[in-house]
Amino acid sequence: MKEDLIIKHTSCSHCGEPVESSSHSESFPIFCCQGCKTVYHLLKENNLCTYYDLDDSPGITIKNGLERKRFDYLIDKDVQNKLIDFKDSEIASSTFYIPNIHCTSCVWLLENLQKLDEGIVQGTVNFLKKRLSIIFDTSKTDLRNIVELLTTIGYEPNLKLVQLEEKEHQPIPRGLWLKLGVAGFCFGNIMLFSFPEYLNMSVSDSLDSFKIFFGALNIILATPVLIYSSSDYIKSAWAAISQKGINLDVPITIGIFALFGRSLYEILSGTGIGYFDSFAGFIFFLLIGKIVQKKTFDGLSFDRDYKSYLPISVLKLIDGKEQSVSVKTLEIGDEIVLRNNELVPCDSILQSDGALVDYSFITGESDPVTKLENDLIYAGGRIIGSQCRLLVTKKVAHSYLTQLWENDVLKSDESKDNRSLADRISPFFTSIVIGIAILSCLFWLYIDPSKAFTIFTAVLIVACPCALALSAPFTFGSATNILSLNGLFLKTVDGIQKLGSIDTIVFDKTGTITDSRKANITFHGYSLSKFEKELIIASTKSSTHPYSQKIYSYLNHTDVDLQELDFIEEINGKGIHAISGDSTIYVGSKNFIEESTGLDLGNNRSYQTSVHIAIDENYKGFFEFKNQLRNGLKELLNKLQSNYETHLLSGDNEKDAVQLSASFKGDENMHFNHSPQQKLTFIHDLSATNKILMIGDGLNDAGALKKSHFGISISDRTSSFSPACDAILDGDELKNLDNLIGFAKASNNIVNVSFGISLLYNITGLAFAVTGHLSPLVAAILMPLSSISIMFFTTVATRIKAKNKRLKIWV
Amino acid sequence: MGVIFFLILFSISVALIFLVAFFWAVRSGQFDDQYTPSVRILFDDKSSSPNNKTQTSKRDS
Amino acid sequence: MSVDTFHYDNKIVKNFGVATMIWGITGFLIGLIVALKFIWPDFLGFIPELSFGRLRPLHTNAVIFAFAGNAIFYGVYYSLPRLSKTPMWSKKLSKLHFWGWQTIIISAVATLPLGYTTSKEYAELEWPIDIAITFIWVVFGINMIMTIMKRREKHIYVAVWFYIATFVTVAVLHIVNSFEVPATFLKSYPVYAGVQDALVQWWYGHNAVAFFLTTPFLGIMYYFIPKASNRPIFSYRLSIVHFWSLIFIYIWAGPHHLLYTALPGWVQTLGTVFSLMLIAPSWGGMLNGLLTLRGAWDKVREDPVLKFMVVAITAYGMVTFEGPMLSIANVSAVAHYSDYIIAHVHNGALLWNGGLTFGMLYFITPRIYRTKLYSIKLANTHFWFATMGAIFYVIPMYWGGITQSLMWKSFTAEGFLTYPNFLETVLQIMPLYALRAFGGSLFIVGALIGVYNLIKTAKSGSLLEQEEAQAPALQDHGEDKTESWHRRLEGRPLKLTVLTVIAILIGGIVEYMPTALIDSNIPTIESVQPYTALEVEGRDIYIAEGCNNCHSQMIRPFRSETERYGEYSKAGEFVYDHPFLWGSKRTGPDLHRIGGKYPDSWHLRHMYDPNSTSPGSIMPAYPWLLEQDMDMESMPNRINALISVGVPYSTRYPEYAIGDMEFQAEKITQGLRENGFGTIEGVEITSDKKVIALIAYLQRLGTDITGENDPFDELPSSKKLSNVILEDE
Repeated sequence: MKEDLIIKHTSCSHCGEPVESSSHSESFPIFCCQGCKTVYHLLKENNLCTYYDLDDSPGITIKNGLERKRFDYLIDKDVQNKLIDFKDSEIASSTFYIPNIHCTSCVWLLENLQKLDEGIVQGTVNFLKKRLSIIFDTSKTDLRNIVELLTTIGYEPNLKLVQLEEKEHQPIPRGLWLKLGVAGFCFGNIMLFSFPEYLNMSVSDSLDSFKIFFGALNIILATPVLIYSSSDYIKSAWAAISQKGINLDVPITIGIFALFGRSLYEILSGTGIGYFDSFAGFIFFLLIGKIVQKKTFDGLSFDRDYKSYLPISVLKLIDGKEQSVSVKTLEIGDEIVLRNNELVPCDSILQSDGALVDYSFITGESDPVTKLENDLIYAGGRIIGSQCRLLVTKKVAHSYLTQLWENDVLKSDESKDNRSLADRISPFFTSIVIGIAILSCLFWLYIDPSKAFTIFTAVLIVACPCALALSAPFTFGSATNILSLNGLFLKTVDGIQKLGSIDTIVFDKTGTITDSRKANITFHGYSLSKFEKELIIASTKSSTHPYSQKIYSYLNHTDVDLQELDFIEEINGKGIHAISGDSTIYVGSKNFIEESTGLDLGNNRSYQTSVHIAIDENYKGFFEFKNQLRNGLKELLNKLQSNYETHLLSGDNEKDAVQLSASFKGDENMHFNHSPQQKLTFIHDLSATNKILMIGDGLNDAGALKKSHFGISISDRTSSFSPACDAILDGDELKNLDNLIGFAKASNNIVNVSFGISLLYNITGLAFAVTGHLSPLVAAILMPLSSISIMFFTTVATRIKAKNKRLKIWV
Repeated sequence: MGVIFFLILFSISVALIFLVAFFWAVRSGQFDDQYTPSVRILFDDKSSSPNNKTQTSKRDS
Repeated sequence: MSVDTFHYDNKIVKNFGVATMIWGITGFLIGLIVALKFIWPDFLGFIPELSFGRLRPLHTNAVIFAFAGNAIFYGVYYSLPRLSKTPMWSKKLSKLHFWGWQTIIISAVATLPLGYTTSKEYAELEWPIDIAITFIWVVFGINMIMTIMKRREKHIYVAVWFYIATFVTVAVLHIVNSFEVPATFLKSYPVYAGVQDALVQWWYGHNAVAFFLTTPFLGIMYYFIPKASNRPIFSYRLSIVHFWSLIFIYIWAGPHHLLYTALPGWVQTLGTVFSLMLIAPSWGGMLNGLLTLRGAWDKVREDPVLKFMVVAITAYGMVTFEGPMLSIANVSAVAHYSDYIIAHVHNGALLWNGGLTFGMLYFITPRIYRTKLYSIKLANTHFWFATMGAIFYVIPMYWGGITQSLMWKSFTAEGFLTYPNFLETVLQIMPLYALRAFGGSLFIVGALIGVYNLIKTAKSGSLLEQEEAQAPALQDHGEDKTESWHRRLEGRPLKLTVLTVIAILIGGIVEYMPTALIDSNIPTIESVQPYTALEVEGRDIYIAEGCNNCHSQMIRPFRSETERYGEYSKAGEFVYDHPFLWGSKRTGPDLHRIGGKYPDSWHLRHMYDPNSTSPGSIMPAYPWLLEQDMDMESMPNRINALISVGVPYSTRYPEYAIGDMEFQAEKITQGLRENGFGTIEGVEITSDKKVIALIAYLQRLGTDITGENDPFDELPSSKKLSNVILEDE
């Protein structure tokens, strides 16, 4: 409680971000920024303060003020139609993906929106999917208002081109649950009605009437299992056969029909009560396996292609007036306006006199490059600094970025051999089974023809690879759970198989092994006086250039007070020139200082990026920026080197080579200045000989990630974008990579072992079958036993392995 | 033991009734979101009443 | 369209709460009385209305239907509207439900001590009350279903599913188990006989526990645990699985109450297997409840609500593990008929149901009274009294149960029973009975503290009768509408077929039932015959006095039992038993082969003063049986009723019934006089006294199998109608 209070006083009441106490009065509530304050009061007025009771400071900080203009395009009819799922006269409903949903309070607030906008009828949150579906009254409000409202309270929906194009599907289809329900229901009851037979009811008190009764009931119950619950397997088997292939569903289907037909025959002919319980149970377990397999991770967005990076709309200049239009409507010759931090949607020519463009997105090069008037700017570049005008030279669809993406190497689906082990062995399996069946049939025809048919079917029944089909889904199922507990989220359960088989690891640099969030700054030169520092602070304060901001936050302490500037000018891509009182200051690149002051800074050989300072015509020195490795990474790289072939593949320049060469067996394994295309081809060539694990981030690695055997994209917020890849890895967990891979390999072994086990079951069963001892009871015991023991073994084994690898195995 | 017939039939009909319920529930998307409902029930409808709030916050701390 | 404002009805909630407390205390006190009667059989003297045999059913009914019942409605009427964001559908129905239920309870309190009972456990109430129950239950159902229909929250929370299951299943169980033919205003005979009746009764009995004492309380757990701890349930997905698996399996577990009885073997094994399966869902539920509180144990330490609920869940875990174990044949062989079962059920009742109920009371009362709990300290005191009380109750009874049952089964080296005299085994565990009573009183003291605390709490605040709430009207334009037409059509045929199947099933059952039942009552042992009129009267007295509460009539096929009681019981011997009287607890010895074991005079003396025949016996004395007259005039009606449920008397037998009674009674009294028992301590024994009929019945018990003497010989009727039985002109 006490602690609570203290925290409250030094952190924003809305979002919990730390607040410099000096700059705010101690009185509660306090805020880190104006945005938070507005939201707080907005909620207060509409007495929505429960928001703050449910969780401590649940809000989302509103650091960057928002420009209302941004959502104009939502008035556009065809945009609306794409965003609205359903609409009748008055009522419309629409669903948004909101990355910021993170706690109970979010759910509560978003489901009480009608108190903020009475046009909203109802909001429903799906927490895991971070999805908000809103039903609203079109006569009272519209999409734009809603989105703006959401943005003002810090829940900006994530509206991207890609979402406008395809609607996403349910992770596990409802049909599957229904099938499982029916199977489970029938399984339980059929078992009930099969008991009497096991307990030789018939010989006990004259209850033959029951035999008929139960037989009938069993048939009634088993039929829906056959025609409904097991339909998927039958269909897929049929599909496989009609394509002259054999997958695991073929032997399964054979088993299904053998079981059903044989049981039907026995009951109708009154020779027995058949194997319906085994049949239903078998389907039941298979379906459980299927559901586990279908497991996907809600809330994470995979498989975003370049479109998801592009904005939906852009400000277009139409006879001098800015108007927001959908980027797809851009034509060659259109003139568009981009603000700070906006992405260039299509290749175009700079109209303003200068601009700073950050291509890290495409090239990985973290330093912004300077563009001058009439320079060509490629799509995917991010404008930094003051807004600028551009002239469209290519439509979005034909821009560089798009071309890069449309690259056919990417198109060619590299589904060479990711068929599961189960599917690979099933042809042999099937043929062997059928072989045995026929042989034993012939054998018995010779010994005792009356038995032949029974034996034949019996073989087909016990050989049914139920446990086999369960091994992989269950191992991988529990393995994926463990991995996600440890920050590695796989797109599909089967991914583990691939991850486990890799032998080469390729790292991207910027943002992957180096932490883009923190680069460490060092100042080289004469020590700066307090006044000089304050000057630098004052002049860098307003600049949007990443380095200015880094310097600012590096020097800015609570005890400084800002110097008044009489004049300040930022020359894009060069530097800043400011005057305060009688002192002038220059902050910027080497040649900028040299040009403007005439000083000669000599030549200090530094690959590192540096920003130079000159005050009152004399040189003070320069700030140097070193990319910082993620912590624990050196150790990781060294560990990995011993077991895998490791490469560094960076679009960035060699500046960090020295720092890294130790970790990558010298320079031949470090490749710098690679364009996305080059990265892609590099992976392409290497994958001819090696199974590659590519680890990257950002669009520039997208191709490589997709091309590699297994692609992991690093993300520092699970809600942030990640290009097409097989898994997302939480940045802070990268240091565990070796354990994670090791665990994946272990899981693969577990699968093989459990295959072994289930095959043993089949063999035992066969032994019973060919000798003609497969009573319904034996079947009814063998089937569930095999399935359950496999489920048990796989789950336990994976947990143990995970423990050995020192991974979290419990929430 | 004729009564066994009836007990079984009665039991099955009950179970079947629930099977139908199960179908309805799944098809109408009752179980699409298997997490948020558990959070939703924690909210008191009377957000505005101060009384309630003191109580919740009491329980929180 | 926009936000609706509506009001939750807290008054009805409060009413059910009050009822819960009143009936709880009542039920506990009656329980304490019967517990004390174990130690001092003459406690409260020998007043018929307060005799053990009549109070015990009152105790069970009071705690199950009055205490737990009202608690369920208390929880439902509070949580359901809040989960559905709408008030209960109809205030009128709510009222009707409340007062109706209380009336039923009062009528139970009125009839059971007077000896109006069907003798079927947890279904003792006679037919008019059965009908009332059905009616009120349906009222509750309608009110609940309509509320759900009118809900403003699209999703139906898992707790509500449990409530629905409770309603549907209990309705079916109650109706099926109550098929009975009225003989007089407060006397009826079940259509089922013997083994069949036993099976139906325990199919009901078990599921009553399942769907009256378990599912509704699980619902309550799933609502109140998250609310009280202010954190979502550990895994909502798991809770959904929990519900459906429980629903699809529970209904089958009934027969495990009849292991080693005359029930067909395969039915017994069935019960066992399905009971074992139940561990999975039950423990799933328990863990889900407990894990919800992981990381919140500090809260648990402070909050009495959570304390009670945690103990409740733990108890649920124990009981649901014990249950399946008990349904394993060999375990049941030891535990059945002993006090072990008593311990088992009280473990569940006191801690699981009691714990959740008190937790609820402590949670809801401050809220609807807009105040804080009067005293946390007192609540904690209550908690400790309750827990300690339960422990002091349960442990001695487990111990005693096993001790006694092992004594029953033990043989000397020479192969004789070590304790041939049943009484020894009883006296052995008397101290434990005393401890049990002590534990019980602790629990009651706790409850009283609780009630005081709650009353004080209520006094300190004011009841918010109509609690205002707001919610947007439910718009059903969710994705289910947008999903394509064929996907929705898909489901239709399946649903339709299922529904029609159900319709056909039920139709067929109702039509075919009576005949089939009667057909299957045809004796498999020829020598077995219906009871004579006097024996029927004796049997009805046996039932009215609740003898079956302490005496079983089912000798299991163990040497220890055949040695002690005689030949084991066969299914065929019970075909005319409407209802069956197998009993479920042996406080006294089994009586199935009592017939002819002692002279009439022994029974006479034993009824008048048990200690005179068996010194130290804790059986209460039944002096009034020697004073009260038996009921002759209603006998023809009763015979008619028995005929209509398939007992093969001649349709003309009712005319001769009374004659038979007088004749046979006179004969017995004669015999007594000859042996010098014309009077006992000045009380004159006349042939119209109840005791005579009872003796007649006891002497007939289990004798048919020998086939030596025809009970109807030399009775007037048999002279008039030659060969009455089985065939008819």
